Amino acid sequence: MKHPNRATLALHAGEDLGRFAYWRTSRHLAKCEVCRAEIAAFDAVRGILPELSPIPEVPWNRLAAEMKVNIRLGLAAGDALLREAVPFAWTSAAVAFASVAVVLAAGLALQHASPRMGKAGFQGVELQTTANGGIQVREGNGALGLLDNGAKDVNYTAGAQGSMRAQNVDPETGHVTVTNVYAN
Amino acid sequence: MFMRIRTLGPVAFLGLAGAATLMAQGYPLPSGSISIKFPDDSPVLFSGSMTDQSRATPRGAAMVIDLHLSMLLRNVSGSKQIHGVTLRVVSQEVAVGGKGSVTYPSLHVGPGESFPVRIEMQLMRPTQAVNGPLVEVNLDGVLFQDLSFYGPNRLNSERTMKGEELEARRDREYFKRALAQNGAAGLQSAVLDSLVRQSQRPRLDALVMRGGPSVASGANPAQESTANFAFLKFPDSPITPLDGSAQISGNEARAPRVQVQNNSTKPVKYFELGWLVTDPAGQQYLAASLPATDPGLMLRPSRTAQVMQDTTLRFTRNGQPVKVQGMTGFVSQVEFENGEIWIPSRQNLESDGLLRLLAPSPEEQRLSDLYRRNGINALLEDLKKY
Repeated sequence: MKHPNRATLALHAGEDLGRFAYWRTSRHLAKCEVCRAEIAAFDAVRGILPELSPIPEVPWNRLAAEMKVNIRLGLAAGDALLREAVPFAWTSAAVAFASVAVVLAAGLALQHASPRMGKAGFQGVELQTTANGGIQVREGNGALGLLDNGAKDVNYTAGAQGSMRAQNVDPETGHVTVTNVYAN
Repeated sequence: MFMRIRTLGPVAFLGLAGAATLMAQGYPLPSGSISIKFPDDSPVLFSGSMTDQSRATPRGAAMVIDLHLSMLLRNVSGSKQIHGVTLRVVSQEVAVGGKGSVTYPSLHVGPGESFPVRIEMQLMRPTQAVNGPLVEVNLDGVLFQDLSFYGPNRLNSERTMKGEELEARRDREYFKRALAQNGAAGLQSAVLDSLVRQSQRPRLDALVMRGGPSVASGANPAQESTANFAFLKFPDSPITPLDGSAQISGNEARAPRVQVQNNSTKPVKYFELGWLVTDPAGQQYLAASLPATDPGLMLRPSRTAQVMQDTTLRFTRNGQPVKVQGMTGFVSQVEFENGEIWIPSRQNLESDGLLRLLAPSPEEQRLSDLYRRNGINALLEDLKKY
């Protein structure tokens, strides 16, 4: 049996799915105890959410207003470009060539540029979390990273002796996994 | 003509974009890129491994290598239940002296049973040449239910896994007590509290630097000053922190130093402190662990010893520097000469508000994740097992 993913179940629990998706997920839930348990867990967490304090430092309304303004500006700019493109067909060709040039330049940059390995001016060993989810030890032009297996809740802890630790539950195996990288 | 160019432009664009994508995907690694070595008398054996998704991607003069290792490990100890396994990951060619480890605590693997493990690694090498194994994976230790240990223990995994096992027993007992006192509803409340605490835990990103000069990013380096530690003291802790300090500059702290005294009746061979930092708004974060440095330490009763680390830590949150305004320390683990280990009790952590600042133990994270994924009945079944 193919189960809906967790995002779908979470949206179902919050009644935020579209009508068809909600109906389809409900049909699955009627037959699947595992997913019903998942929904119950989401419901339980959702039940306590009102008790949690709000996040005062995030001005949601202002953010929403800014996003709307930015979207409108983007749409207006797109319209303006389209209006200008119609009378001057060569402009489109130039844009297409420029796009190709950008892709080629990006490819060359990926192929030949030296990767950025460390902080400028630092000659020792660095340990840190990485942007792609994991921890890394880096020295000079070499780096060894241990990634997070796609886990969502990862707890990172630095060690003052020169180590970095990541703790998570492997979503595939269900085992807790603790990874460490060491400076020496 | 313009029409032809307008038609060909996007086609050429798509073709070149496709070629660039293919280049970026890299190529498969030869078999033997990962060497897996377990001792002949190992109580765990790997009964199968897969590395077929591993790839190498050239990046200029360097090479980025993604290694995906899946293994099936089997308990061949004869009669013992395995509660933890640590694997050591070394790539001498990549980072001189740099190494990693992967530990699986909170296991309950009976004799003859197998369990899957996955290791995802990424290496960056200065050269494109790939000859021989890139990474060596070997066994550092196995912890059994009776706290006996097997392995070369080069990463001190015996002490680490014993500490995690004691934390696991402490936290299972906490959830079992909630169940005994208030039934399934009490257990559910306790695990929901844990989930909320985990999601609200204030977190810092730390960069650890060793062996190079400090590079201050959040303040003028000339403004470095000495900051003293405040200490949280647990009544049953075998050692007591006396005083300590670190050099602070903006969002950097370096060269931490703490003096402790052994207040127990037994010699101590290892201890570890937790290090909290406070930002200007008064928010506390767990910054790092601060372990004893001397591998030959033997701290006799009533004697004192000092922890000193030649390390710089730089703290950020959401990419922004977090200025260090204050520091607090507490004893998080002690190992006696006879191998016994002390860890703070749940009451210690709760009474000082530490529970909301610290990462959950591996077992608490596993149990709360089990509840989140499979519900209260799965958690009840798990607690009945051990």
